[in-house]
Parts: sequence; structure tokens; C-alpha cells
Amino acid sequence: MKQGRLKRTAKGHTLCVDPLAPLRTKRGRLASSAEAMAQAIAERVIGQVVGALDLNALLAEIDLNAVLETIDINQVLRQVDLNSLMDRIDIDAILNRADVNGLLDRVDVNRLLATVDINRLLSSVDIAALIGRVDVNQIVRQIDANEVIDKVDLNAVIGRVDINAIVQRVDVDALVEQTDLGSVIAKSSSGVASDVLDAVRSRTVGVDEFIARFVALLRRRPYIGPPGPPAGLRVGAAS
Amino acid sequence: MTARTGEVGHFEPPPAARESLQGHYAGFASRFAAFAVDLVVLTGIFILALATINFTANVLVGKDVHFNRGNVWVIVAYAVWAFIYFAHFWGLNGKTAGGALFGVQVVTNDGADVSGRQAIARALAFPLSFLILGLGFLGILWGDRRRALHDVIAGTVVIYSWDARTARLRFLSRSPYSAPPEPRGNGRRA
Repeated sequence: MKQGRLKRTAKGHTLCVDPLAPLRTKRGRLASSAEAMAQAIAERVIGQVVGALDLNALLAEIDLNAVLETIDINQVLRQVDLNSLMDRIDIDAILNRADVNGLLDRVDVNRLLATVDINRLLSSVDIAALIGRVDVNQIVRQIDANEVIDKVDLNAVIGRVDINAIVQRVDVDALVEQTDLGSVIAKSSSGVASDVLDAVRSRTVGVDEFIARFVALLRRRPYIGPPGPPAGLRVGAAS
Repeated sequence: MTARTGEVGHFEPPPAARESLQGHYAGFASRFAAFAVDLVVLTGIFILALATINFTANVLVGKDVHFNRGNVWVIVAYAVWAFIYFAHFWGLNGKTAGGALFGVQVVTNDGADVSGRQAIARALAFPLSFLILGLGFLGILWGDRRRALHDVIAGTVVIYSWDARTARLRFLSRSPYSAPPEPRGNGRRA
């Protein structure tokens, strides 16, 4: 008798909170009214607690770097289709709104980069399509070229360039043949007279070489070319 | 020498022009050819001078002055003139007329310009190489530095002074050499 009254009371109380409580079932039978009442109370309490929380203050308490360390970014990136993600992003609009310098100041870039497999990341990105969507002119307009150049040590850059190696790679003969340099040289000389002189000198040197080879043969020594030049001779000044 | 007229075939630059020998010790043929040219030049000038003297004496005095090769004074004058000729040009820039033509130059053992004293010593020692039956020139053929006796005495060497590379650039710049004509496919048109 007493138990039946308690059921009715509980039923009546639950009905005030959750009118659908009597309809809930558990394993094919009606849930106990106490259980239903506890669930309804918990839902309301949680809602009120969450509403009372200051999420910003809570996030400020969290060490994001520590959280990032616990995340396997590579694993996350593997599961993301970066190309489709990039397609959905208006990069220009983001770049216009972002205070990139301020953002970079807040991020420990070195720490972040240490956790990223750059090669894998780059292999999954369609760089050509990405570059195609970037308004390079706008970015260039935002760059202070003079400031960038001021930061570059040009002497150090030039010091790393092997100019001799570059010059060695230049085919001077082809250059002369393909440019007007040859005609300039030809005009600067006396034409036929120079041709005759070059030919005479060349033939005479040829005879020199022939005689030298013959003498080397007599002496039974290998001939390795004309000897010289004398030490200390400035060849350019000899002409 | 190659004549360049009309259709020009494929030319190869002279072998010696493929590599610049500038600064290397000059060989026997170049030096001998230069000396031969010098001999012609200085003898020509000497004969011209004698002719001028003869003409002047004829105009002024009315007598011809006959110089013959057996005259001692003519020989002495010729020797003095040859000495002045060689010593002057070697001391000036190491090049005589023949040397300039064949691109050879007299420099010191270490490649510097010849001083006046060295030029005079070389010019004085030069006949010695002849007087010992030409044996003084054997050093050009056999020596490692191609030095004759008078070079050893004066402390000089003879080097090639012409720049074969520049000569080659000149050679390449001539359009008939640098751009051989394209084959025309035996006159057929595509």
C-alpha cells in the first residue's frame, strides 16, 4: 500500500519535470521512475553549469603547445584531403584579414615545424593550383622590397658564387659566332693584313713544333709541347 | 694562305691558332724567320742610306761615291748599323721588325722587359753564335728554354708574343668561316 503511494508520488513529481518519462523503457520494460528523475535532473544541471562557465577563461588556462604535442599531426594530416580543403578556402580573403606578423609572433614556429613532416605535407599539396589562386601582385605590393634587400648581405651572397665556374661554362667561341662581337673584332683589325699575318705566324709556329718534335725524336724524349712561359711573365702584357 | 673567293668550303682554323702559345719559348723557325726579315730590313735601309749618300755627293760635289762590298769601311758601317738596329729595338720593347712580324719578343729570363744594358750585351754577343760555326744556335733546338748562346750571355729568352686566341676569334668572326652554308639538298625544294 505504502509502496504504491510512493510510485504514484514519484510518477506525479517526474511528470512535472519530464512529461515523457513514463514512456521511456529499459530492456523492454518501463524504466524506474527514480532513474528517469535522476537523468532529467542531470540534463538540466549540466545545461546550467555549462551556461555558467567562462569558456574563454577556461581556454586561457590550457597550454595549447602542450596539447599540440600530444596530437599526432602527421596522422591528422594523412586523413585530411588538403586539396579539397584548400579549394573551399578563400586564401586572398584570409590573407587580407590576417595580421600575419602578429600571428607569427604568438606561434613557436620552430617547435611547430619540428612536429611536421614537411615532405609528406608538400607531396599532398597541389602547389601549382595553390599558386594559381594566389594574387602574387597583391602580396608583392605589401612587401617593402627595400627593407628586404637591406636585410640581405649581398657581399656574402656574391661571395658564395663561383664566378670563375660560371665563366668557364660560357662558350666564348659560340658567343662570338652568335653575336656582333666577332664583327667588332674584325672591324677593329686591319682585315686581310691581319689574316695574312695570323696565317704566317701560325704556319711558322707549326714549323717550330715540327722541328721540336723531330729533335725530341732524335733525343728519344717525349715531346709535350713548347716549354715556358718564364716565371714572372705577365702573359697579357707580352702582346 | 687561303684565298677567299666566292663559294667557301668548310675551313678549319690553323692548328697553332687553336691554342694560345703566348709567353711560351719561341722555336727555331720563328726566330730564324724573324732574323731573316730583320736582315732584309736592315740591309735595305743600309743600301738606301748608301744610295742617299751617293746621290747627295753627286748633287753637291758632282762626283759619284762608289761603295763596294770589299770596302772595310762599308763592312764596319754595316756592322755598326746592325748593332744599333738590334740593340735599339731589343732595348725599346724587345721586338725588332722581324720579331713583330712573326710575333716573337725578347724578354729577360724571368719574363721582364729587357734593359738597355742587356740589349747591348745581346747585340754584342749575337755575332758569337755565328762565329763558332753556328753552334751557338744549337741551344734553341736542344735547350729546355730554347736559348742561344747570346741569350745565355745576356740573360734573355725569346717568347711568342702574339695572341693566338685573339687570332682565332678574328678567324671565327669571318662569316665564311664561322657559318658554313647549309646544304641545299641538291637543288630540290621541299
